[in-house]
Order: sequence, then structure tokens, then C-alpha cells
Amino acid sequence: MPHKRFAHSRRDFLCNAGSGLGSLALASMLAGDGLLPNANAATVPDPLQPKPPHFKPTAKSVIWLFMEGGPSHLDLFDPKPALEKLAGKPMPESFGHPITAMGTGSNTLMPSKRIFKQHGQSGIWVSDWYPEIASHVDDMTVFRACWADGLNHVGSVCQMNTCSILAGRPALGAWITYGLGSANQNLPSFVVLTDAGEVLGGPKNWSSGFLPATYEGTQLRNQGDPILDLAPPETIGKQQQRGRLDLLKTLNRHFGENKSDDTELEARINAYELAYRMQAAGPEAVDLTKESDATKKLYGMDDEITAKFGTNCLLARRLVERGVRFIELYNGSGSAWDAHNDIEGNHSKMCRSSDKPIAGLLADLKGRGMLNDTLVVWGGEFGRTPFNEKGDGRDHNPWGFTMWAAGGGIRGGQVIGTTDEIGLRGIDKRAHVTDIHATVLHALGLNHVDVTFLHNGRSERPTIVTGEVIKESFAS
Amino acid sequence: MRTVCVIVVSVLCLGAAKDPFTPAQRKYWAFQPVTRPQSPIVQHQNWIANFIDSFIAQRLESKGLKLAPLTDRITLLRRITFDLIGLPPAPEEVDAFLADQSPNAYEKVVDRLLASPHYGERWARHWLDLARYAESEGFKADETRPNAWRYRDYVIRSFNENKSYDRFIKEQIAGDELWPNDPWARVATGFNRHYPDESNARNLVQRRQEILNDITDTVGSTFLGMTYGCARCHTHKFDPILHTDYYRLQAFFANTAADDAIPMISAEEMSQYRVKRAEWEEQTKPIRDQIALLLEPRKQALIKEYVDKYPPEIQAILAKPAGDRNPFEWQMYYKAQPYLVFDDDTASKSLKGEARNQYQALLKDLKRFGDLDPGEAPVGIGMKDLGDRAPATHLLNVGAYDAPLEEVQPGFLSIVNPNPPKIVPPAGLNSTGRRTALANWLASPENPLTARVMVNRIWYHHFGQGIAADPSDFGAMGGRPSHPELLDWLASEFVRSGWDVKAIHKLIVMSRTYQQSSAFDEAAAKEDPRDKLLWRFPRERLEGEVIRDAALAVSGLLNEKMGGPSVFPELPTGTGRPRGGWKLSEPEDRNRRSVYIFVRRNTRYPMLEAFDMPDTHESCGRRNKTITAPQAMALLNGKLSVEWAQAFADRVLAQAGVDTSAQIDRAYRLAFGRHPDGFEKDSIQTFFQKQKQVIAARVDAGEKLALPAAMPPGFDPAQGAALVDFCQMLLNSNEFVYRN
Repeated sequence: MPHKRFAHSRRDFLCNAGSGLGSLALASMLAGDGLLPNANAATVPDPLQPKPPHFKPTAKSVIWLFMEGGPSHLDLFDPKPALEKLAGKPMPESFGHPITAMGTGSNTLMPSKRIFKQHGQSGIWVSDWYPEIASHVDDMTVFRACWADGLNHVGSVCQMNTCSILAGRPALGAWITYGLGSANQNLPSFVVLTDAGEVLGGPKNWSSGFLPATYEGTQLRNQGDPILDLAPPETIGKQQQRGRLDLLKTLNRHFGENKSDDTELEARINAYELAYRMQAAGPEAVDLTKESDATKKLYGMDDEITAKFGTNCLLARRLVERGVRFIELYNGSGSAWDAHNDIEGNHSKMCRSSDKPIAGLLADLKGRGMLNDTLVVWGGEFGRTPFNEKGDGRDHNPWGFTMWAAGGGIRGGQVIGTTDEIGLRGIDKRAHVTDIHATVLHALGLNHVDVTFLHNGRSERPTIVTGEVIKESFAS
Repeated sequence: MRTVCVIVVSVLCLGAAKDPFTPAQRKYWAFQPVTRPQSPIVQHQNWIANFIDSFIAQRLESKGLKLAPLTDRITLLRRITFDLIGLPPAPEEVDAFLADQSPNAYEKVVDRLLASPHYGERWARHWLDLARYAESEGFKADETRPNAWRYRDYVIRSFNENKSYDRFIKEQIAGDELWPNDPWARVATGFNRHYPDESNARNLVQRRQEILNDITDTVGSTFLGMTYGCARCHTHKFDPILHTDYYRLQAFFANTAADDAIPMISAEEMSQYRVKRAEWEEQTKPIRDQIALLLEPRKQALIKEYVDKYPPEIQAILAKPAGDRNPFEWQMYYKAQPYLVFDDDTASKSLKGEARNQYQALLKDLKRFGDLDPGEAPVGIGMKDLGDRAPATHLLNVGAYDAPLEEVQPGFLSIVNPNPPKIVPPAGLNSTGRRTALANWLASPENPLTARVMVNRIWYHHFGQGIAADPSDFGAMGGRPSHPELLDWLASEFVRSGWDVKAIHKLIVMSRTYQQSSAFDEAAAKEDPRDKLLWRFPRERLEGEVIRDAALAVSGLLNEKMGGPSVFPELPTGTGRPRGGWKLSEPEDRNRRSVYIFVRRNTRYPMLEAFDMPDTHESCGRRNKTITAPQAMALLNGKLSVEWAQAFADRVLAQAGVDTSAQIDRAYRLAFGRHPDGFEKDSIQTFFQKQKQVIAARVDAGEKLALPAAMPPGFDPAQGAALVDFCQMLLNSNEFVYRN
């Protein structure tokens, strides 16, 4: 296995991070002005500079819709008539005794109360909990035999983000930013939005892990400043801020006069300019006042129940338009989908809050011609068990569950993979989390085994040691 | 699949007569005994302040390069002060150093700084990175580990006492076995207690295996500079670390478990405490009995609920009589046991109606005896063995916890020492003695890695680059050392000095190499673009902790109180409350040094995280050094950063009065230790003029300003706000955040 050497130390790794394309423009401009004695500074590699993909991508951006807590595939995308017959009985011996989070393995089987129908040209089954999303099945590949390694939320949410149930590895969005650089000058390239509580496990889910902090996800906030410390406190005016920055730049340039070889010092000047540009670009990106009422309605923003997640979905579209590569939207952040009891009550509510916004997003992207190169992924950290918990709930199921993808080169109207007759485990064409990640990277033109970073003696890659691209997901 | 692997392994074992290592691996530099090379002969004798310089000079001369001139004294003082204590020198210290014309003026400074208690705070932080130190469990709930901070204090104390490094190692690996009566030696074992832990995991076999993996990886990289982690699933691809070596190292820890009740008071104090506690217990017995009557059924229900979630095998182990449990079952038991203890508060939550009233009345009664209650005795957390017999350790197929292959015994790195260790259970203790054997090997002068790794770490933090490039990877991927003979000389000197850490610091910082300028030399850069040969001193961005501490110091806000429970400074506006909690500290405590900020595993303190504080899920020997926009935003826009600037401006006003040129001069002296030059003075005066007008317009518009706390009578608020702006830009400047 070839182990590529990647920049590691400060001097190897020219830390021009965070300065984006602007730094190059600025540097060459200054060189033109004769302000920068060393014109070589203009050729400093920028860690966020766009890098060529390994092959022609089918997607430019990814919107990952994360239903946190674990949506029930058995009540949404994977109908199991056999459960009707087995209702109230324990699992047949042939299924063994899985260890579950709540020790429910010997509880009786519980069929779905939902009504499933076939939709679209493709006739893909979707339950009546997702009526709006169901109208988009012809754009989707549904992965019905996904599987993961964790039993509990935090490890599983972590794995869905980083491929490992143990924290500390870079998130997929960080790997993508590392592999491709940034496609915009004024915004972060990897953005996370939540709609309720704190995601279980917190910010480590969008951490850059052992990759440089440059590649870390940025949480965009719904209230106040969209990005932490984006603007100064109200005691500092806008023009005043410019004056401060100009002074800082003057002093920094003066300090750097006899140190023109040190590109880091210049990079730090640029980082401040980027921060200043973001102060304007951030609020513009999240300003929805220019969106039409029809658009807002499409996302369900006129309805209290769907307004919050609908807003995030609309923000995601706006971020894609502004060159953000990876946007992760949590629905029910803080594990709201976790229906250990009363799955009817819980999922009715969660589906209602997400159905229209997601359908609106797909329709809007399609209407604007953006679905072609925007990959939308839907899923939780795992699915739920066919046996009941507390009589009317379901426990965690990482052995077989559903995810789907649409747009960004994904073939529409197909189902890949099968779970067993009760929907406990994937049995055919299983897709592990690492396979899903490999497939997403593939859509972006990256070969998951060639995106590597030397860390603690090992050439690390996004999918750790496994993962295969699910080639049949793609249209061509 | 498993059978196939068993066969493959057996075949390999049958062929054991064959050397598992290649001749090149046998000859690899890091495994050779440490030598004591002669000082090389060099031409430029004027470059030589001590032995170090000879080795550096030799390589420079061989490439036709030269050492840079000595740096100026202010830069040198800032450099050494940041390096040794992590704070900037005060203007008075600069004056004293400039005024001291004696030949040993610099040496006096070095001695003063090495004796400063702030030295321990600075160097402990480097060690805490290696120890993946955090004060919470990680995973979902990220619960607080209440007494983890004592380990941080232990590290600070150890550096300040200049504890010999061999003793420092032994305490952290096996302090409980070697010095069972020394609470601090037992707290030292906290080094291996800082693993992330999924407290609500149902699969205890897997949970235990993950903890053992974490310990193995951390011990391997910290003390040996070997990436053991790569050998978890298979024999290391690049270094001679066998798959079995991974589990041989792991086996030393096979019988360990968390010890979260290490008494931190002397035996005498403890007996006094027990008397007091017994007195309180006796007086309150009737009340507590009634409480127990109310709560016991609740507790039993909670325990049952928790136990029921475990798989049947674990439930069976928990139900067994203690005498029937084997060592492995004890491991399982101790993984589950802490979560089967419910305090009154938790149990009382389900009380309703009359029972609830009754409980609250009883609590009130109990409170009346509050004066008698000595509370909980102070405890630390660390590691211990669960008895003198350890459960078996198996080689694991591809590292999977449920795919055991043949059993392995504790053992060292085979290529260095293939012999079985001498393991003797310590007399009078219920412990295996395994870790004592490991500690003795790690801390032995014959171990070719230990001394080399540590002197290289010290060197790395002084120069920002190691002699061996990756301080935690002395293997093939870490790169060859730039000066192998110097590394050996330092390592031999370290052992010869009795593992004296401060002596190594002093050697390094007294070298002419350390005192040279960081100025650029185009010709040298052509020959050695990365400055591997040290033709100049490498300029480096300071760590987030140092930037924050320096800003607090310059602003006059720094609270220099040492030790004790961690503090919770303000989080940036808009940050949610981290899971596990963040109870804001009292204002004076918020400005303690950064090493005392609570380390919540899932939520690092945002400013420090922005400046590359490492993730605490694994050991880190070399931080990333990035330059990012979020760093700029934190220092430019953060509420705290503006407050620091307000305090800084306040200090400037108090010391320099209302004259702007005096203010500029004082601010420069405080922030950089030097006077501003003409260009700077002019630029700042021009800035004041313009900025004052901008701010005056804001005053007219009725907008709020960030002002110094104490404005002199008649002082123009617009001028005051401009002064704050200026002070804040100094704290943001490259000169402030770089060690030059």
C-alpha cells in the first residue's frame, strides 16, 4: 500500500489556512503594488485552495439530512408483511439473541401500524408518514440494507459522521474539504445546522479530528450571529471595525517587513480579511428576506411545525448556491427520533416536521436545476428493531436499516439491498456506513482510498480500512 | 475466516526459530543502545556555548551554512519566558535584564524561570496533551469525572519539583504498587485513567477492550514513541512491532480497573475524619434509616432496570456470589458496578405525594446535623489491579474484541527485549505486579527509547521541531533524526544526570543555537528550506493557552492562583450549554491560567479549540498549527477579547495618563516589552485621529462604546474607545502571538 507523505509540520504545511482564494488575489495585488517584497508569497499553496478531484465528479455539494435518534425503517421505507403474522410472538430462534441497547432482544415482535403504498413510476414503497417525500422516489436510490457497528446513539452518530464509533476521527465533511478545498471565498466549506438540542456527542461530530482545524465543520446558528463571533459586540461599529483591521494590518505588515519569507505571517493577515468578509457574507447567506413567499411555502415555512427544519433546508439550498460543499442538517437534534416508547406519537411528530421541508428541498433543487449536481442523503444513525420496547416503542437497530440518496448523479427510482423477513438484519447487498461514505466521496470525484493523511505512523483515510463504492447507485 | 487465521498464526509460530525481524529492522537507529558520542571538532569555536552547539555547528559547516547571529536581548527574554513559563516578561523584567551587564545575566534569567511555579503550569500542558487529559467520560452523556483535576495538579507539581523522569514514569504506570502509601503516586496512575468511556455501553467485553486499546496506544506512543496502535489488527506495516507485541503490552494492564476513591489525606487525618463521620452517622442514624426505608425500594427498582438492560451473561456475573467470580468476571463486574449505585437524590426523583413530603421533611431534619457532617473525604482517581490474578489476554484477530486467538503473556517490545518480564506481586498488596515490571523496564537506563523520546520532546517544545521530527513516532514514518548524535548525547546526558528534566532544559536554552536570531537568510534557505539544520531559530505561533494567558497577563487580569478544581470561564455568546454542564465560575476564577480550564471531552473550550488544542480522545505529541478565520474572529470579535482590551486600556491609562504618545509607549512595553518605533508611533497617532471621528459619530448616534473601566475626568469617550481598539489590535497582532 503506498503511503503518501502529507505535510505535517508547520514548515511543511504552509499554514495559509482559512484565507481562501482571496489570499492569492490579495497577495498578487500587493506584489503588483510593490508592497510585498517577496513575490513568491503569491504562490503559497493554500490548504483551502480548490484541488482537482481524482476523476470527474457527479456532485459538487452534499446535503446530508440527519434524522437524529434513529428513524424506523420498518415504519417508513421497508414494509414487512411477515411481522403481521408474527405479531406478539418472540423472534424465531433462527434470529439469535442480539445484544441491544435496552436489553429488549427477547421482546415480542411488533408490526407497523402504517399504511404502505407504492409510489412513482418506480413503485417504491413508502409509508403514509412520508406522503410528500414519497412523491420524489423516482429521484432516489433507497438503500434498504444499511448497517453500522454501534449500539448506542453517541457512538453511532459519531460513526455516521466519521466512520468510527470511537471519537477522534475527522468527519466526512472535513475529509471532503481536505480533499477538494473550498469552492467559495467568504464562507466555510463545511456547515452544520441543528434544529433542536445539542447533537449527541457535540461538536466532535463535525470535528477535523487529526486533520488541521482548517477543515473543521462550522455550526451555523439560527439565532444571533450565524457563526460564533462572526461580528464584534454592539460596542464596536462597522466602520470602527474597518479602522481596527486597517491598523492591525499596518502593524502586522510593519512587523513582517524583514520577514517576507514567512508566509504564515501573511496568511494571518489574510485570515483577518476573510473574517471581515465573512462578517458580511455570513448574514447575507442566511438572510431569507429575498426568498419569495412561494419558496418559503414550498419548504413549509408557513407552518409552525415545519417552519424550523424548513428554514434550515432552505438555508442549505442557499449555501449550496454559495459554494458550500458539505451541509449537514440535523432533524430532531439531540436524539428526538429515539422512539423507545410510543413510536406512533414520536414518529408522527418527527415525520410531520421533516416531510414537507425535505420534499420542498428536493423540489426546489430540481426546479432550479441544482439537483443534478447536489447530492442529498437521508438517514439516521441506525434504524429500529422489529421487536417492541415497552409495548409500543422500538429499540436501536444497527444491523439493518434504510437510507436514501437523491441527485448528484444518483440513479432515480431504485432500491438496493434487502433486510430479512422481519427487518432485523441486512441480508443482501448490504451497505456499511463506510460504503455510504465511499459512495458519497465517489460522487464528489474522490477515491476514498486515495484521500490520505499521515497520522501517528499511519496513512489515514476517510473509510479507515474498509468501504466500497456502491457503484450501482449511480446513473451512469 | 477465523479458522484460517488460527492456522496462519500457528504456522508462523511453528516457524518461530526464524527471526521475525529483518536485519535492517535489527539495525534501526532507535533500537540501538544510546551512545555517548564525542563532541565533534568544528571550525567556528565562537559558535560554541556548550556541547549542543558542536553537533549543530558540525552539520551546518558540512553544508557551508552558519549559525545566525545572537538575537537581541528583548527577543531572547520573550522567547525564553514564553518557552519556560508560558507568559510574557513584564516591562520591569525587561528593564532588569537589559540593565544586567554581568556575563551570566541570561543564565540568571533561566534559573529564575526554571524555579518559577509557572514553569510547571507551562510544561504540564505539554504532558497533558500526551495523557489525552480530560475531565469527562466522552460519549453521550460526557459526565464529569469529578476528581480528574488532581492528576493535572500532580503533573504541575512533578515538573515544579523537578521530579526525576524515571520516577515520573514509574508513578504514572505503577504508583499504586510501588508507593501505595503516597496519595500523589496513586493519583499519578490517573495517566491511564483518562480513557474515553461509554458508561452506558451494554457490551462490557467490547467496552473493556476499547479501554485497554486506548491505554496500550497511549503508553506506547507517550513513553516509547512507538505507534503501537498500528499493530492492533496486524503486525505493524513499517516498524518491527509484532501483532503479539500489541497484546503483550496490553497484558500488563489486563487486570486494571479505575480506582476512583484514592484518599488524599494522611492516615492520621483519615482516622480523625472517620471519627467525625461516625459521630455524625450515629446521631443521624434514625433519620437516615427512615430515608433508606423510603428510598431503598426505589433504588432496587433502578438497579433492576439497569441490570435488565445487560445481556444475560453479564446479569449472571452480577448475580454471582463474590467468591465465585473469576478474574475476567471481576473485570465485568467492576465495569458495571459504578452504574448500579444510585444516590438519594436520584432515587428520590420518583417519589410522589405524601412520600415526597416525608422525604423532604427528613432531609430538613438531617440538615440540622449539618455542623457535625464532615462531608466527603477528598479523593483522587487513578488505576489499580483487581487482585493478584489477571484474566487471560488473547491476541485478537484483526483487533476484534470477539475474535480471540492464542493467549499471550505480558511482554516488552520484542525487538528490544524479547525476554519474559520478571513479575512479582507486591508484598502486602492485592495486585499482580505486572505494571511494576513494565514501569521498571520503561524507566530503565538500558531502554533505548525512553530517554531519547523524552529529550526529543523537550527539544521539540523549545524549537518547535524535534531532532526526530515526530515526537511520538520514532518509527520509520516519523522520519530520520536530523542530528542523531546530538539526540544520543542528550539522551545519555539525561540518564547520567539522574533523569533531570530541568538540567536538560538548561542545557538546551543555554546553547548558542537556542539564542540565535530568527532572521531569514536566503542562501541558507536554498540549501535547507525547512531549517532542519537550525541555521536560524524557528519562529512559531504560540499555542491558544499561551495567547489567552498572555492577553490576561498584559491586561492585568490574570489570576495567578495555582491548582485545585478546574474553572469554567465564559463561553462565546451563542454557544449552547455543553452536555455534562458548564457552571460558570466566579468572575475572579474565570481569569485563571488556561491549564486550569475544565476540559470537557466532547466540547473543548472554544477559543483553545480554534487554536488547535488537540482532541482529547487520543494522545497528541505534536499539535497542528493552523491559521484560520475562526481564530481571527475569536480574538477580534469575541466578547472576552474586547473585555481584555478594555482592561488593558485601563491599565495603560492608569500607568501612562492621558497623553497619547505615553499611552502608545506604555502599551508597547506591556504587550511586546519594547518601545514603538517612529513608524509605529505615527501610524497609531493617525489611527487615533481617524478612529476618534468614527467613534464620535457613534456617540452622537447614541450607540454604546467599549471603554476603559476608569475614565479620567474629562477624558473624551471617543478617545477612550479608540484606545481600547488600539490595545485590542496589539493583542491580535502577529508580534503578540508569535515567539520570535
